[in-house]
Amino acid sequence: MKKILYSILFCLAAVSFSSCEIDNFDLPGETIKGRVVDQATGELVLTDQGGEGTRIRLRELSWTETEVPDNFDFWCMKEGIFQNTKVFKGHYNVRIDGAFIPLVRTNNSGDTIADESKYIDIAGVTEVEFEVQPFLKLEWVGQPTVSNGKVTANVRVTRGVSPADFRAKIEPLGGYSDDMLNITDLRLFVSQVPYVGYREWDNRYTTQINYDGNSFDDLLGETVTITTNGEIPAGRTVFIRAAARINYATENIRRHNYNEAMRVEIPN
Amino acid sequence: MKLKYLILILMAFSSAIISCNDYLEIPPMNVVQDKDLFTDATGMSVYMSRMYSQMPFEDFKYSPARQFFDDWLVTPGANSGESLGRDAGTAMTSEGWARNGAYWERAFNLLRDANRLLETLPEYQANFNESDYNHFIGEAYFARAMVFYALAKRYGGVPLVTEVLKYPDNPAEDLEIPRSTEEETWDQVLADFDMAIANLSESSPKRGYANKFVAYGFKSEAMLFAGSVAKYNNITGFGQKTDVRVIGFDANSAAAASKKYFREAYNASREIMKSGKYSLYKKKWSPNDKEAQFQNMVDMFFDVSSPENIYIKEYSYPDLAHGYDSYNIPRQLMGGNGYSAGNCPTLDFVELFDGFEKNEDGTIKVFDDNGKYIMYDNVTDIFANAEPRLRAYVILPGDVFKGEVIEIRRGIFTGDASNGIDPLRVVNGGSPDYSISGPSNYNQVDAYRAVGDFAGQKLLFLSQNGNTHETVELPDGTVMNAGGKSGPFTSDGTAAMTGFAVRKWLNPNMPQSLVLEARSEQHFVLMRYAEILLNVAEAAQELLLAGETAPAGDDFKQIAFDAIQEIRERAGADLLTSVTELELEIIRKERKKELAFAHKTLWDIRRWRTQHSEMLNGSTQTDGAYYKGLYPFYSSTTGKYFFDAGLDEGRRRFRLNEQEYYLLIPGGEVSKSPVIDQQPGR
Repeated sequence: MKKILYSILFCLAAVSFSSCEIDNFDLPGETIKGRVVDQATGELVLTDQGGEGTRIRLRELSWTETEVPDNFDFWCMKEGIFQNTKVFKGHYNVRIDGAFIPLVRTNNSGDTIADESKYIDIAGVTEVEFEVQPFLKLEWVGQPTVSNGKVTANVRVTRGVSPADFRAKIEPLGGYSDDMLNITDLRLFVSQVPYVGYREWDNRYTTQINYDGNSFDDLLGETVTITTNGEIPAGRTVFIRAAARINYATENIRRHNYNEAMRVEIPN
Repeated sequence: MKLKYLILILMAFSSAIISCNDYLEIPPMNVVQDKDLFTDATGMSVYMSRMYSQMPFEDFKYSPARQFFDDWLVTPGANSGESLGRDAGTAMTSEGWARNGAYWERAFNLLRDANRLLETLPEYQANFNESDYNHFIGEAYFARAMVFYALAKRYGGVPLVTEVLKYPDNPAEDLEIPRSTEEETWDQVLADFDMAIANLSESSPKRGYANKFVAYGFKSEAMLFAGSVAKYNNITGFGQKTDVRVIGFDANSAAAASKKYFREAYNASREIMKSGKYSLYKKKWSPNDKEAQFQNMVDMFFDVSSPENIYIKEYSYPDLAHGYDSYNIPRQLMGGNGYSAGNCPTLDFVELFDGFEKNEDGTIKVFDDNGKYIMYDNVTDIFANAEPRLRAYVILPGDVFKGEVIEIRRGIFTGDASNGIDPLRVVNGGSPDYSISGPSNYNQVDAYRAVGDFAGQKLLFLSQNGNTHETVELPDGTVMNAGGKSGPFTSDGTAAMTGFAVRKWLNPNMPQSLVLEARSEQHFVLMRYAEILLNVAEAAQELLLAGETAPAGDDFKQIAFDAIQEIRERAGADLLTSVTELELEIIRKERKKELAFAHKTLWDIRRWRTQHSEMLNGSTQTDGAYYKGLYPFYSSTTGKYFFDAGLDEGRRRFRLNEQEYYLLIPGGEVSKSPVIDQQPGR
């Protein structure tokens, strides 16, 4: 009997020993917080939330077991701030891509000619601030008006980066043309949630105005009036946002610059 | 005790002896050896079967949602705007999302088989006569070319595995191969097709095998793809790990590459044309006889001996069958598995064709000059003179299939029609709204809900689904279901949801009891002469636009013109009036019509890079766009039919980013390899 008991105990011990090796990694509990601000004004650079917005890409350089670090991507909030509370402690390269002059610029043969991304240690709560040059800046002018289920808003679009500066930074990348500076479309996005933008819009009401060539240039700095489509039912609450983009893609996507989302009540 | 030791010693000793004997080192008897396989054509057919069963053919077992070798819900056209269906109807932004995953691993399995054949067969060359030997070598190159082509059109640059990777002889790290540039990948496709062409026999030694002209055919298709990407692609970038331009072309070499590939496509197509071995199928065709032209185009997809077939994939029950009939049969002929109408042609597709009245913008004319519906005595009248090819591909409302009138009717309008009928898509007494903000389903309109101008009187009747109908008593006392036997219905997608059903490929002779999953065995035409004519026309036109000169004896414009005319004549379409009329847009449109529902348009609109940017009913697919349907209604007071054209009731949204022309490399492959790059920027 005792023999059996011992052998059972032994087995148990063996089993428990083998499972005793503890996981030697701490939970990814560090936090990176950041802001994306306009180099010229210090204002936050507003963005869409999602694939066509500002993307934050972390690459853990202190992790050497994979030769080339994996990309750890997440997206900026619409206000131009970002936060991730589940990051492993370590040394990172942080780059962001959005509707602004790319921080990492490579020329036509793939050589990096400028790298303004950040190399930082992430531990505890690490805060970073990226100063960027947004292509465009959009502002509301006055309050939107509502009539017959249509919202009419006034928007002012200005350049966040001068054509000369844009050219100086982009031309060395190859394939430059002045057409890249053209503003191709201005939109008034409508949604029933505050996260309104390119990935969250109600296509029944959203308006898009397209501009050929550099025809928008005359409207830069002017007040442009834009009205929603269709008829939003009375009593609804909608959120609107204006967005515009230039004819230049960062990371192969032509991204919009935005103004802040505004709440509009459609009266009964 | 002594005995025990003795036995132990003996055992130890004997085991030492046994393990030394060479004659026991024999290969396992239950595994077929190279020497047995590579003996003759019979042995080779085993190897060939294995290779062919892995070929990336887009056939009755291919759908973007489920990738290759999966016949469930195969509805060719439903990811490229030719059709919509209950289970499909989105742009292809990835592949294998529903199951099976992306086409990657399977590609490398077949590459290994092909490379192994190339490396091993030379050791057994003595077993074969020269032409057989060359043919099998050609088959290996053909398989490799097809795999690299399938990969290149999905991913751009891929790892060019051109030899058998020996593992565990070599450590895995040494066998890692990074992605090449997109240009190198297309060059490899070209080189492999050329080697296949050089080695393959002029005719297939066995049914189903490739031959020289099959290779020419796919080469012309692949090179057209490469030339188009080099010319129209805007997306490029460098791999993060390797700094290799894994997608897109270098701006400095793109134009030259594009011309080179278009010329290869042109020459390959011309070789097939000059061989005189193939011609358009016209067994039942006769001039000015639309019925004969229609029947001819129906039959051509079922005639195994068609002179138009360059390459077909055959099926046979029960070993290798598919379910095309089951999934795509019109609702009223539904088979036992309960599937139907998976592939409903869009009005946008139908509007490409000739033979019915159109507005100036090319859309179908359904309203008269006063904005009232045009009334037709019979539901078939609107398409009475339609191009025969359209009728051969699409079952139009009231057409006959399998001896039965296919009843496609959205509903019945019971209101007064003496002053004409106003547009139906009106909500709350507003003005008719056919834009995206208008009503999506007819159960939202005033005439149905009895509001607005129709306050208190419901004048529109619809059917909920195939079993639940609203009914209307007609003036003669008979009772009619609101919806047709084949739909469309308010909330049942297994019906003609766009107002059309597909006819192409549906077996007209299959008894309804056999319309089941995994029961169909009609062949799929992978490559036919009509495509070669379209390839030659497009390549010639592109070369002309690039300022290239034609080879001696050829006139680009004339060859392109003749090719299009030949196809139009056979199809019963309106002919071009003069050679000056021919433009790239016309060639592309012809292609969309002729090669519909064959997985071809799917890739055409991707290689032209038009899918994301083309205006489609007011939007582009970058922003999200919708296709249209044509909904027949019966006016009970007049006994006539009218048609409402507008956005698809299901509002299936097609959305494709420019980036998504290049599918993502499977994430697991990227993270486990030190050299495989993800698509730049993603």
